[in-house]
Amino acid sequence: MTTTRRFERQSNFERYAFLFMRLSGIALLLLAVGHMLLQHILRDVHSLTLQAVQDIWRSWGWRAYDLLLLLFAIVHGFNGLRQVIEDYMHDQRIVRVTNAILLGLVIVTILWSAVAIFNFNPDAVMAVGE
Amino acid sequence: MLSTLKLTLVESLRYRGFLGQWSWLAHRLSGLAVLLFLIIHVWDTANATFWPEAYSYTVEIFKWFPFSVGEIALMAAVLYHAFNGIRITLLDFKPDWWRYQRQSAIVVWLLFAVVFAPIAISMFSRTMNHCNTLAAEGLSCWTFPTP
Repeated sequence: MTTTRRFERQSNFERYAFLFMRLSGIALLLLAVGHMLLQHILRDVHSLTLQAVQDIWRSWGWRAYDLLLLLFAIVHGFNGLRQVIEDYMHDQRIVRVTNAILLGLVIVTILWSAVAIFNFNPDAVMAVGE
Repeated sequence: MLSTLKLTLVESLRYRGFLGQWSWLAHRLSGLAVLLFLIIHVWDTANATFWPEAYSYTVEIFKWFPFSVGEIALMAAVLYHAFNGIRITLLDFKPDWWRYQRQSAIVVWLLFAVVFAPIAISMFSRTMNHCNTLAAEGLSCWTFPTP
């Protein structure tokens, strides 16, 4: 006679989430800390205007930098929030609902901002700016 | 849910853990603070494309004195979270180093203090410069900008 055991196949999601947090963390060490030093030390946020955004986003290099920063930071940040919420929420139904809301926010935020970065027209804004 | 939150806050402060507990709490709080700013900042910056008039106004709110001081706190949160994040990553991939966990937490706090101090001074002096510039024009950096 054989004993059969039924078990749920474990998803690898948390393992990938764990790895993503470490790897994106290393990327953000350059991207996010770099962005902070750039805006607050090399440039001065007190002179930040729409005009300044035009100068920066005229370069596709800076747009790519900001897009990468956006992707890593939003996913890293929202996954961190998910972990914090799961630490304190023990009702699995509520956790599923909040996770779905967080995923929705991640997708909407990234899409909206990515479209903004791609569609920014530095010359069109000139007319509106002043 | 509110009672859970209260319990968490009270017990986090009451728990007599060692230095690692404060690193854990600081990492968590700094992460949440940075995320809060990040969401506001990303949606606000998207306005540069979708609603430039609104962006031109909100960017002035970021120069309001209390907000500038908040940005110094944001810098602190980003730097601490980054440095402590390196420590967590190193210890996760090098379990042999766990015996230095206490020392590594101290190193992170010291590194943070050494890097943040000059940056904070620079940011605060820029903020004061901005206030002085406005004051010369008879304006104040304490006045909340109006559209």
